[in-house]
Amino acid sequence: MPDTSVMIRDTAKKLLVEKRVDLIIGFERGTLPLRSTPCFVRRSVEAEKLIWNASCENNLARYLRKRKEKVGIVAKGCDTRSIISLIKEKQVAREQVFIIGVPCHGMIDRRKIEAKLDGREILEADEVSEKVILKGHDFTEIVAKEEFLHNSCNTCNYRNPVIYDVLIGDKVEENRGIDEYGEVKEFEAQSADRRWQSFTNEVSKCIRCYACRNACPLCYCQECFVDSSQPRWIGKTTNLSDTSIFHIVRAFHTAGRCVDCGACDRACPMGIDIRKLTKKIEKDVKELFHYQAGVNLEDVPPLATFNLGDPQEFIK
Amino acid sequence: MKNPYLPLAMRTEKIVIETDDKNIKTFSLSFLNEEDESSFNYLPGQFVQLSVLSEGEAPFGIASSPTQPGELEFTVNKIGVLTTALHNLEKGAIIGIRGPLGNCFPIEAFEGKNIVIVSGGFAFTTLRSLLKYILYEENRSKFGNVTVIYGARRPGLLLYKDELKEWEVRPDLDVHLTVDRADDGWRGKVGVVPNVIKEVAPSPENAYTVVCGPPIMIKLTLPVLRQLGFPPERIILSLEMKMKCGIGMCGRCNIGNKYVCKDGPIFTLAHLNELSGEYKPGGRNFETKK
Amino acid sequence: MKEMKIAKNELVSFLDSLISEYKVFAPVKRDGFVVFQEIYSGSEALLVYANSKKPPKEILFPQSEVLFTYRLGGEGLGIEEPTFKDKQMVIFGIRPCDAKSLVILDDIFNSQVYKDVYYIAKREKTLVIAIGCNRPSSTCFCTSLGGGPFSPDGSDLLLVDIDHEYVVQAVTEKGKQFLKKHSEFKKVEEHSLSLMRSVIETAGVLIKSKVETGEIKKKLDVMFDDPFWDWLHEKCLDCAVCTYLCPTCHCFDITDEALDQRGERVRIWDSCAFPMFTLEASGVNPRPTSKERTRQRIMHKFKYFVDNHDMAACVGCGRCIKECPVNLDIRTVLNSILNR
Repeated sequence: MPDTSVMIRDTAKKLLVEKRVDLIIGFERGTLPLRSTPCFVRRSVEAEKLIWNASCENNLARYLRKRKEKVGIVAKGCDTRSIISLIKEKQVAREQVFIIGVPCHGMIDRRKIEAKLDGREILEADEVSEKVILKGHDFTEIVAKEEFLHNSCNTCNYRNPVIYDVLIGDKVEENRGIDEYGEVKEFEAQSADRRWQSFTNEVSKCIRCYACRNACPLCYCQECFVDSSQPRWIGKTTNLSDTSIFHIVRAFHTAGRCVDCGACDRACPMGIDIRKLTKKIEKDVKELFHYQAGVNLEDVPPLATFNLGDPQEFIK
Repeated sequence: MKNPYLPLAMRTEKIVIETDDKNIKTFSLSFLNEEDESSFNYLPGQFVQLSVLSEGEAPFGIASSPTQPGELEFTVNKIGVLTTALHNLEKGAIIGIRGPLGNCFPIEAFEGKNIVIVSGGFAFTTLRSLLKYILYEENRSKFGNVTVIYGARRPGLLLYKDELKEWEVRPDLDVHLTVDRADDGWRGKVGVVPNVIKEVAPSPENAYTVVCGPPIMIKLTLPVLRQLGFPPERIILSLEMKMKCGIGMCGRCNIGNKYVCKDGPIFTLAHLNELSGEYKPGGRNFETKK
Repeated sequence: MKEMKIAKNELVSFLDSLISEYKVFAPVKRDGFVVFQEIYSGSEALLVYANSKKPPKEILFPQSEVLFTYRLGGEGLGIEEPTFKDKQMVIFGIRPCDAKSLVILDDIFNSQVYKDVYYIAKREKTLVIAIGCNRPSSTCFCTSLGGGPFSPDGSDLLLVDIDHEYVVQAVTEKGKQFLKKHSEFKKVEEHSLSLMRSVIETAGVLIKSKVETGEIKKKLDVMFDDPFWDWLHEKCLDCAVCTYLCPTCHCFDITDEALDQRGERVRIWDSCAFPMFTLEASGVNPRPTSKERTRQRIMHKFKYFVDNHDMAACVGCGRCIKECPVNLDIRTVLNSILNR
C-alpha cells in the first residue's frame, strides 16, 4: 500500500488540477522534531509538501469558516466531527468542503515524551511504524507511540473519519475496551471540595492567551464574552476568579457542540487540563439528551430543539 | 519620580449639550488642587486621558485654549464605555485627568502665516482650541488671515453654536459653515467639506492648513488641498487611535515607528507619507503615488 | 572584567544567606515546567535547566499589576498609590537571553521622557545574576541577535558552569560591589579561567540556529505593502502565546477592576495578536485582520523597534518557537523575509 503522505499529495494535486477545489488545507513538515504544521496549498506543484504522520495534531477545521473558495481539507476522525458541527451550525456549507478523510492511529503528545526525557532535548525524531526513534545530544531512545498519545486520542471512538469525500488508505480499527469517560467518572466521584481544588489548580496556570479558544473550531463567536466591554462580563486579570469564569463559561458554551478533538488541550502552553470540563459536559449531554456532537449530519443538537420530555432534574 | 499613571482630580463645573441628538456634550472642569492647575501647561492640539474611576480611561483632545486659564474643556461624543460614563455625570462630579499628553499644533511655525482650518463633525474640538488661541487678543496679530471651513451632516450636529455665531461676524475671520442636509433657517452652505474647500479656494500662499475630521472627509479633502497647491509639509493633521498609556509604552497606537500618543497626535502630511503605509483613511493611502 | 569563583556545593547555602537579605527569585519546577518564583530556601533553585516556560520579565513587569487603588464617595478621587517599598531583589539563574531582554525593557519603561515608576522601582532594586548556557537548545538563536550563551548584557553577574564550580564574572559596578561583599566568592585560578574559556567557546559552536538579522530591517523598510503578509498569517491562531511568553513583548492594557465603592486600576499584559488591541469604541479597527496584526508583531520587533532603539525587540530565546500551537516559527518568518 502506498504511503499515506503520497496518497494525500496525489489526491490534492488531482483536486487542484481538476479545479474541484481552490485550496487544500493540510499539513507540512514542521521545524521541530515531532511537529507538523498546517499548510495552505493553492497550486498543484505545492502539494508535494503535504505530509501525514503522528504529529499532525492540529484540528484544521478551525480554518474552514468565512472562506469564499472551495476547500479541500485533510481531516482525521475528530476533525470530521468538528466539520459536522460546523455544517450543522451553518458555518460551513457541505458542498463547499471536499473532505480528504484520513484514518488516524492517534497523535503523539510531545509533552509527554519531553516529560519522560526529563529535560534532555529531542533533536531528531523518526516514526517507524509503531515506534518513534528519538535522538538527542548523547542519547537514542525508542518509544512506543501508543504510550505517548494525546489524552483525547486515548479515549477516542472515532479514529476513522465520520464523513468524507475520499478516504485515504484503509479504515483503522477503533479503540476497543476503553472507558471513554473513565477520568470523568473518577472526577465525579470526588468530593465537591476536591473537584474545586483540582479545577482551580488547573486554571490558576492560565495566562489568558486564549490559545484554547482560538484553536477550537467551534469557538467562533463574533465577540467572545471575555472581549465584550458593554456589558463587561469578566475581568481581564489572571486572578483565579477571572480565569475560572473564563474556563467555566467557555466549557458551557461548548455543551452539545464539543467533539473532544483535544485542540484546546494541545494549544495550551501551560498544560492546563481543559478537557476535564469539556469532557464532563460532553458526558452529561450524552446522558441527559442522548446526543453526541459531530457523529452524523442528521441528529438535531440539543440546544436547537425543544422537547417536552427533556430531563429537567437539574432545575431544583 | 513623577508617576505618569496617576490622574489628577478635577471638578465638573459645567456641562453643555452641544448637538440636537444630545450625543455630544462639552464638560468644563476645574482642578481641585491649585498646584495641579499651575503645573498643567498645555498648548492647542494636546490631549489628556480622562478617568471615571471604575469605568476606566480614554483619550480626549483639549477643546479649551490655554488663554482661558482656570478651566479645561472637553467635548465628548457618547460612543463607548467611558464616554457613556462621562455623559451620565452631573455637575460637581469628580473626574480624573492625566496629561497634557502628545505634541501640539506647530504654533511657532504658524506665526506670520495664513491659517486654513478644515474640519468635519465632532473632530472640531482641538481646532476650536487652536482657533481660540489664535483669536486671543494678545495673539491675533501674530497670525495672518484665518479661514475656517467647518461642516456637519446637519445644522443640529455643529459644535459650539454660540461661538460659531460670534466668529461668523468677526471681521478678522473668514468662516464657512456647511451641512450635508440643510433644514429650515439654515443660511450657510450645503455640501460636503471638500466641495466647499474647492469653492472657497483658499490660497496656499504663505499658508498652513490644519485638517481634522472623519476618515472619509480626510480622504476626500487631501486631494483638494493638494490641487489648490498646499504642499504636504504645510498640511497638518491630528490623528486618533486607541490609546491606553498615552506615553508611548503600551504599544498599540503606532503608525510605523511613531506613536500617535507620544510623537503625535499632530503630524504633517509629509511626515505621514514617510511613515509606513499603516495609516490609510478610507482604506487608501493619503496620497496615491504617481 | 573581574572574575571570582564559587564552589557548586556552596551555592545552596549562599542562596540561603541571600534570602535573609533579599527577595530572591530563581527558576523552580512547578506543574511540570520551569518558572521564576520567589524562593525561600536555596535548595528550591533549579540549577540545570534549559529555560523557563514564562520569561522572567514578569518579575519586573507582572501580568497583572495594580497601579493604584481607589475608594469612591470621599473627597477628590480617593486614590492610593502603592508604596514602592519593595525589598532589594536578586534574580538568580536567569539566562543571558532573558537578561538581555531587561536591557530592552529598560529602554521602554525608563524612557527619556516618561518614567514607568512601577517597573523602575523594582528594576533599580534588582541584582541580576545570570547563569550562562553550556548546552543551548536547538531553538536558541541568541547569537543572531547580538547575544550569546554567555553574553553579559543585562546581567550584573554572570556565572559560568565549569563542572565543580562556577566562575563568576562581575559585569557591572553593582556586580563588583556584590562580589566584594560576599565572602563565598573566592579567588579564581588560571586553570578555572581556561576551563571557562573553553566552555564558552564550545557553547558558541553549539548554537546552530542562525538568521542573518542584520539584513532584515533593510528588507522590512520597504515591505509594508508586500504580498508576503497576505499569506504569512494564514495558519496563525491570533492567540497570545508568542507575545505573552516573549521576554521582550511589553504591550499592556489598563483596566479598572471595581468592587462596589472601591477598586483597582490594573495594568495587564495585552497582545498585538488580539483584535481588541486596536479596536476603537467607534467600531473602527486599524488592524482588522490577522494579516495586519501579524505584520505589526514582526514589524514592531524587527523594524520599528530598531528604528527607535537601535536594536531588535527579540533576544532569540526560542520560546515562541517551542510554544506556538501551530509551529509558526519566527526563524522561518525571518528567513522568508530575507528571501523576498
